[in-house]
Parts: sequence; C-alpha cells; structure tokens
Amino acid sequence: MTTDELDPLIHVPTRLKIVATLAALPDGDTLSFTRLQDMIGLTPGNLIIHLRKLEEADYISSEKTRNGTVSITTVALTGPGRKALDAYTQALRGLLGGL
Amino acid sequence: MNHTPDTAAAGNGGSFDPQQAAALLDQTTQQARRKLAPSPPWLLATRAIGVLAALGAIWLSVRGQHPYKGPTAADAPILIAFIVLNFAATVGVRERALAGVRGRTRLRPAEITIMVAAFAAVPVLMWALAANGVSFAWYPTTVLIVPGLAWAAVSARAGWRRCGMGLAVAAIGVAGAFAGPTGSWAVAGVGLCAVLLGKAAAVAWRQRRDVAAT
Repeated sequence: MTTDELDPLIHVPTRLKIVATLAALPDGDTLSFTRLQDMIGLTPGNLIIHLRKLEEADYISSEKTRNGTVSITTVALTGPGRKALDAYTQALRGLLGGL
Repeated sequence: MNHTPDTAAAGNGGSFDPQQAAALLDQTTQQARRKLAPSPPWLLATRAIGVLAALGAIWLSVRGQHPYKGPTAADAPILIAFIVLNFAATVGVRERALAGVRGRTRLRPAEITIMVAAFAAVPVLMWALAANGVSFAWYPTTVLIVPGLAWAAVSARAGWRRCGMGLAVAAIGVAGAFAGPTGSWAVAGVGLCAVLLGKAAAVAWRQRRDVAAT
C-alpha cells in the first residue's frame, strides 16, 4: 500500500482538519462558517478556498441564509464526504499497519 | 472533481506523511468532539456529585424520622441551590458548545414543549396517586418517572442508544417505589449519581477513541 491510495483532496492538513471537524457532528447537523473558522483557526479567505475545493467534490455542502441584514453561511459534511473520510481513514490504517 | 495534490499551494508545507495525517486526524476529531459536546464528561460528573450530595444530605436528615415527616425546612435551600446551579451550568455549557450548530443536536420547540409538559405533569401525577392512596405518591423517585420517559422519547430521534439515560432515570423512579419514603431519597441520590457517572464515562470514551488508531 502506498500514499497514492490516500484521497489527495483530503490528504492536506487544512482540509483534513475541516473534514474531521465536520465529521464530529451527527449526520444532518450543520456548522456555521464562523464557528468552523474559530475551531480550525484559519483566515476566512483561506477557509473559503478549501471549502470550495471540498464542495466541488461534493464532500461538503454549504447554505447561505439571510436573517434580516445578517447572512449566515452553514456547512455540513455530505454522505459522499463522510464515505470519503471513512475510506481515507481505512487507507491510513492500512498504511500504518504495514509500517 | 479536483483531485490535484495541492499541499504546497495551500500553504501547508511540503510533505505530509501518513503518521502525521493519522495524528492530525485523531487530534482534530477528539478536539471537535470535546468542543461540540453539549454534555461534556466533566459537567456530567459534577452533576453526579452534586445530586449525590444534595439528595444524600436530605436522606441523612430524614433517616432518623419515626414516623417519616419528609424533608425539613433546612433541606429546601440545598435542593433549590442544586437545581438552580445545575440548570444554569447546563444551559451555559450547552449554548457555548452548540454555538453555530444547527440540526438534530439542538432540541426542537416541540421537544422542549414535551419536556416542559412532562415536568408540569409530575405534581399532577403525584397528587392523583396520593388521592388514590398510593404509598409512593410523594416519594422523590416518583418525580423521575415521567420526565425520564419523556427524555427517552425525545432522545429516540437520535437513535435507540440515546434512550438509555432517560430509561435509566425512569427505572430509578420505579425502583424507589419499593424503597420506602426514607430509602427513596438514597435510591434517587445513588441511582442518579451512578447513571450520570456512567454517561460521563461513556462520553469520555467516545471522545477519546482514536479514529485512525495511531
């Protein structure tokens, strides 16, 4: 088994943190952009770049809602995103077991 | 789908080996679980000690009563202080943990209504039991039955495993009916303490469980 089997979209420290954080929520729950940013410790611009990549792959979904003058963006791990993280974790275990 | 490796482009440094990835995955998962926990182990354990101290103090004051007269006026502040502090701590911790979280982790208005109705039904049930001459009508454990069952029903939405705590609380309520008026205070204190400590241990185990088994 080689590192090539690790999903390159998740195998990036920042995106791994994003996906792992969202996976800690129960299925169907969403997290606000600001709380996610606070938990991961990224700048808004940097977080947006990574979220966009994950959303393009359908690993996460985002929704923007407007509450009066305030707009709130929430993000959640999708079913494919959860499956991808599970597969990534299995691949990691396989790699570490072979060391 | 963009599967281009972009570790360096993302400003994350060069190499990212599997061991580092596994360590980061475990660390991030455990941190997220801790930060997003509406009932963290420390709160559950503190609540367990608090309930044992409050109900244990009342048991100590009533165990010498022959015949049984119930808690004295001196016991009321202990119980009220515990209820107020427990409620404030629970609301405060829950709000902080669930800031920015939407979904089934949060109680829906209908579920809050069910719980409020369950607590409101307690004195009605106790009064009805007393009117029918039921011996355990005014036992402290009787208070636990309806809210325990209501909490189990509300928790069932998140899976049957979540029902355990509510069912255990209701079971303590039923067990207390066989302990007599004095013993029911001890059953309530020890039973609730054991259930809360068990829940604290289960939550702590889930939070610390490794994902990648590094």
